[in-house]
Amino acid sequence: MKRVLPVIAALLLLAIPLGVSNQFLLHLGITVLMWTILGLAWNLLGGYAGQVSFGHATFFGIGAYTTMILYLSFRLAPWYGMALGGVLGALFSLPIGLICFRLRGPYFSLATLAVAEIIRLVALNWESLTNGPVGLLITSLPQVTVFGAAINWERKEPFFVIVAVLALCAMLAAYLFTRSRLGSYLTAIREDEDAAEAIGIDTTRSKVTVLALSAFLTGLAGGFYGLYFRYVDPDAVFLISLSVEMVFIAVVGGLRTIAGPVVGAIFLTTIAELFRERFMVGHLIFYGLFMMLVIRFLPEGIWGRALRILTGRR
Amino acid sequence: MTAAMETLIQSLVNGVLTGSLYAMIGVGLTVIFGVMRIINLAHGEMVMLGMFSAYWSYTLWKIDSFLSAIVWVPLFFLAGMLAYRYLVRAIMPGGELNTLLYTAGMSLLIANVALFAWTGDYRTLNLPYAVEPLHPFGIAVPVPLAIAFGLAALITAALYVFLARTDTGRAVRATSQNPEAAALMGINVERIAMITFGLGTALAAAAGVLLVPSLYLYPTVGEILVVKCFVIVVLGGLGSIPGAIAGGILLGVIESFGAVYVSVAYKDTIGFIMFLLVLLFRPQGLFGAARS
Repeated sequence: MKRVLPVIAALLLLAIPLGVSNQFLLHLGITVLMWTILGLAWNLLGGYAGQVSFGHATFFGIGAYTTMILYLSFRLAPWYGMALGGVLGALFSLPIGLICFRLRGPYFSLATLAVAEIIRLVALNWESLTNGPVGLLITSLPQVTVFGAAINWERKEPFFVIVAVLALCAMLAAYLFTRSRLGSYLTAIREDEDAAEAIGIDTTRSKVTVLALSAFLTGLAGGFYGLYFRYVDPDAVFLISLSVEMVFIAVVGGLRTIAGPVVGAIFLTTIAELFRERFMVGHLIFYGLFMMLVIRFLPEGIWGRALRILTGRR
Repeated sequence: MTAAMETLIQSLVNGVLTGSLYAMIGVGLTVIFGVMRIINLAHGEMVMLGMFSAYWSYTLWKIDSFLSAIVWVPLFFLAGMLAYRYLVRAIMPGGELNTLLYTAGMSLLIANVALFAWTGDYRTLNLPYAVEPLHPFGIAVPVPLAIAFGLAALITAALYVFLARTDTGRAVRATSQNPEAAALMGINVERIAMITFGLGTALAAAAGVLLVPSLYLYPTVGEILVVKCFVIVVLGGLGSIPGAIAGGILLGVIESFGAVYVSVAYKDTIGFIMFLLVLLFRPQGLFGAARS
């Protein structure tokens, strides 16, 4: 039963576009799933490894720009671009990790913030590559036929399926990660870095590896963002507040759980999107508000607390 | 005076003037860190609120933006104390990362409430007496920046006197050096923490009030300012007040020279790269003595 349940849930998720045709609801679903991937990716580093990054927008932006640039300049289909965006995000994370992981705790967080700002400024000013503040726009996506029918990119259903598959892969990756040796190493590092090093764990290498994994998933989601919105500019994909949103989804949902970012994304993104639909600006009010409430009253996050109540542990 | 010389002096002057205001923001952040070990990510939003307060005083009630500081600075001092007492204090036992995340939430909340209330438009405040720059010794000095510099120097001097000469000021420094020892000497550490948070907030808001005629203002301006502020306090050494002043002026000069001699587009990048280098190789700051 325990093994069948996730499979059923996954199939149900993929079947949603068959039953739901309301485009706004699908858009909401797509946004929630995209943020689920981002929350999961951040949680690998921030939750399991305890390294709070405020710079994940870097990898998101790199993924988004890679997808867009490869499609616009070389007509490379966006799905390959998405995968390459993830890879490039992971490659970028290596030097960033080697520099920032020399620092610990809040100092690491500040360093990632500075790196993200440097990258944002480069994206803003390297006009020959990124088109600067004007951004990049895709007018049409390539023709694709599945089972003899052309995919209609003007509707949300195909995007929903793509992002749902990505989110399921991310969840599977996170699950495998928690059961891996690396996962245990990182738990040890989170609890006591000096002790972990003393028992022979290569702490820097473990942290750089998990950062690369996290950056890969973030870059993938960034690529999807480019594909879905067909428009990127530095202020849309490299902003500090974007990094902060990823942090909040994981923390509000529940650190160090796989369902946590899912719950966080459903909860925060839904409220924010409904508010955005009505008022255009200020939808991040709820992110800030719930972050403060959660840290104050529910440090283990919504899902973390729910799990504790469900399993009856005190 | 040759043209090259003139450019050099001009950018030095600009840098020092802007830097004095950066320094004030940095001092606010660093006193809070020194006493409470809180890295206050909402500090930039305090500057933003200060800017908007002065802006609205001028546009709605025709009160000179500099003059409005007399009202706003004490109000922000009070608001900061209340924020500490009712919002931040309960988080303190959770450790540095929790307070970091909590103040990040506070920052996002304040910025977005402001965005909702005042829209994301870029605004400027043009003071009637600030049209023509002054020209002492052939160097152009914008009037609002010159006034802001004077007031910032005055406020910083007042802060120095407060910290060096008054009992409360000494208690703040003592708590900053060693909270346990300070408590054993009969200092009410909680009260000092509250005063310090108020002080830091008031300094940020004061800098905002002084900056408003010289800078674009919009609700998310705090995001950029808080990152600059980290650069400043890390350059000077976290927790060190003279370090923050030196760091602020240094960053102002670096940015100003960077804009002239490197490129306008990348002037901010130089500051961030220095920030990373200092974090990596001299975490105690450029001027600070090492502290644990």
